[in-house]
Amino acid sequence: MNQISRSLPPSLKSAIDEAVRSLHQRVPAAIGCVVATVDGRLVAQVVDNGADPQRIAAMIGSMVALGETIGREVRIDRSDYVVVNALNGILLAQRVPARRELFVVSTLARTTTNLGILLHETRTTAAEIGRAVDAWLDHYQAAAAAAAAAH
Amino acid sequence: MSEITLLFAGPMGAGKTTAIRAISQIEPINTEVANTDFSESGKAETTVALDYGELSLDNGHTLRLYGSPGQRRFEFMWPLLAEGALGVVVLLDNSRPDPLADLRLFLDAFARQIGAGRVVVAVGRLDSHPQPSLDDYAEAVAARGEFLPVLAADVRRRDDVTALLDVLFDQIEAQAAAADAAGDDDEWLQLVRRARSQ
Repeated sequence: MNQISRSLPPSLKSAIDEAVRSLHQRVPAAIGCVVATVDGRLVAQVVDNGADPQRIAAMIGSMVALGETIGREVRIDRSDYVVVNALNGILLAQRVPARRELFVVSTLARTTTNLGILLHETRTTAAEIGRAVDAWLDHYQAAAAAAAAAH
Repeated sequence: MSEITLLFAGPMGAGKTTAIRAISQIEPINTEVANTDFSESGKAETTVALDYGELSLDNGHTLRLYGSPGQRRFEFMWPLLAEGALGVVVLLDNSRPDPLADLRLFLDAFARQIGAGRVVVAVGRLDSHPQPSLDDYAEAVAARGEFLPVLAADVRRRDDVTALLDVLFDQIEAQAAAADAAGDDDEWLQLVRRARSQ
């Protein structure tokens, strides 16, 4: 169930692609949106500034996991999101909340962006993708149950 | 200087997390998440940032043990974790499709540490997958004009992991002797000499 094939189920891939495009449009100063698996494989991306989406995918996988590990280690509980506030931009990354948390989403924006808006829009997109993941899991489990019943 | 950093590197599934767990005296810190790519490995989980453990030496010094993520997409982490490391243990898995290619990849990645004589190579799962042999590995290393210790290891066994560190320290001591002969004075090497003498 953890496995994401190299080609995602088309319905899920389509939903994630659309969510990424929408996020990129909703945040005016956005210069990139990337969805990756939790282990750092690129799933969907819109990146305008020449940064390598494959590397962003791997890095946000590391960042989110490290943020969660640090949160546990310093006893402030689970990390909700991780922010890199740099001279010329902001990167915000978080897990996609779903029954199986298999994806991370990140938004890269110019410093003119309000961090609150960036967080709100990224969270909204994460929730949207999470619903698509849950729908995919429902479909997968129903198909598996039907196949088992047929045998 | 009371702390020494060592790095366990190598491809996914080679046993870096297991090796650190085998010798760490603290509960290791890890960053394992669901593995979503079974074409790379059948493991349920995979390290995506780092592993961390600690081992206290008799002389009061602390070994800080870091493990790197193995997939090539995480290669940006390798130099970060190797920075300041006294030595690197490259773990290889002989059951992978092309372990000699893995060897070359990681020797390239840690060329600086190899140049300083601070790398040891350990090959796992030789019992179930005898080819390539240790001689094949040694030849592959020699063909690059390098000389590194290449050993078999089952990193689930604490003794095997500590034996790897012994070899690494021997290697570093040998470098220390050479540095002494050259009139060089390296704080790290002095530290290892003191640690080994107690």
